[in-house]
Amino acid sequence: MSTEILLRLGYALGIVVLGLFAYWLIHQHLLVRARNNVFRLFKQWPNKLVIVYFTTPDCAPCKTIQRPALNKLSGLMGDKLEVVEIDATQRPDLARQWGVMSVPTTFLLDVHGEARYVNNGVARVEKLMEQLQTL
Amino acid sequence: MTSQTLQKVDHSALKTNQIIIITLNILAFILDQWWLAAFVALVMGIGSALKVPGFGFVYKSILKPQGWMKPDVLEDNPEPHRFAQSLGFLFMAGGSVALYLGSSALGWSLVWLVAALAALNAFGGFCVGCAVYYWLVRFNLPGFTKQPPAGTFPGMKPKASANV
Repeated sequence: MSTEILLRLGYALGIVVLGLFAYWLIHQHLLVRARNNVFRLFKQWPNKLVIVYFTTPDCAPCKTIQRPALNKLSGLMGDKLEVVEIDATQRPDLARQWGVMSVPTTFLLDVHGEARYVNNGVARVEKLMEQLQTL
Repeated sequence: MTSQTLQKVDHSALKTNQIIIITLNILAFILDQWWLAAFVALVMGIGSALKVPGFGFVYKSILKPQGWMKPDVLEDNPEPHRFAQSLGFLFMAGGSVALYLGSSALGWSLVWLVAALAALNAFGGFCVGCAVYYWLVRFNLPGFTKQPPAGTFPGMKPKASANV
């Protein structure tokens, strides 16, 4: 009886680990997709950290939280940071290419143009700063 | 994405419901107890009938009053979430019947499917049942009228907080 329970526990853990792996793969896929789309952007801002920020005109948290957070961050980082704002309603092609499913979504690119972080949903100053410090 | 009246939906109640479903389904599998899966199906069925998250009472009566979980009230449509739970109930009921009749592979597959979709919703913010609801809206089926909140991909958790 207990052997069978242990065996089933093992199966359950295996399935859960597989699920987590699949989730991680999807997250990586988003980052790889972003990496494939940064080269044109990066040529304009060599040796700069870049935040690609997807928004829409009717996105309330973008106006009330995300944009002020990015403005504050730009003030703090000065020339070291470039924020690229993309209106997903104006550029649905870019939103699709980058795999954006909701707004706000922010991608953080390091100085080599590598997409290192993606935040689906509101990312506050503290979180963005923490992520930027690791780049 | 047309303008429409959204309602205040507490996503913490939904999340609690999903986490309890995941936990009980995995426990039912590990302990090989079909009745536990049937119990989850029953609670989901009752929740669907009452138009509330089946295990939402745990959040309402324990987690929220104790302050262990904070409300996460968003401007959203409750209908797709109800539909998603009803869909989950059907899968769980089918799984339970299959297990009762001795069809373990089919039964546990359905139970795991519900657990996986609940996990995707709870931890990934994507509600597959809601996405199916929004997809059915395109066919003008009666009862399927709501559009996703503006700026939100169908099925994804909306980002706009409601003022409560």
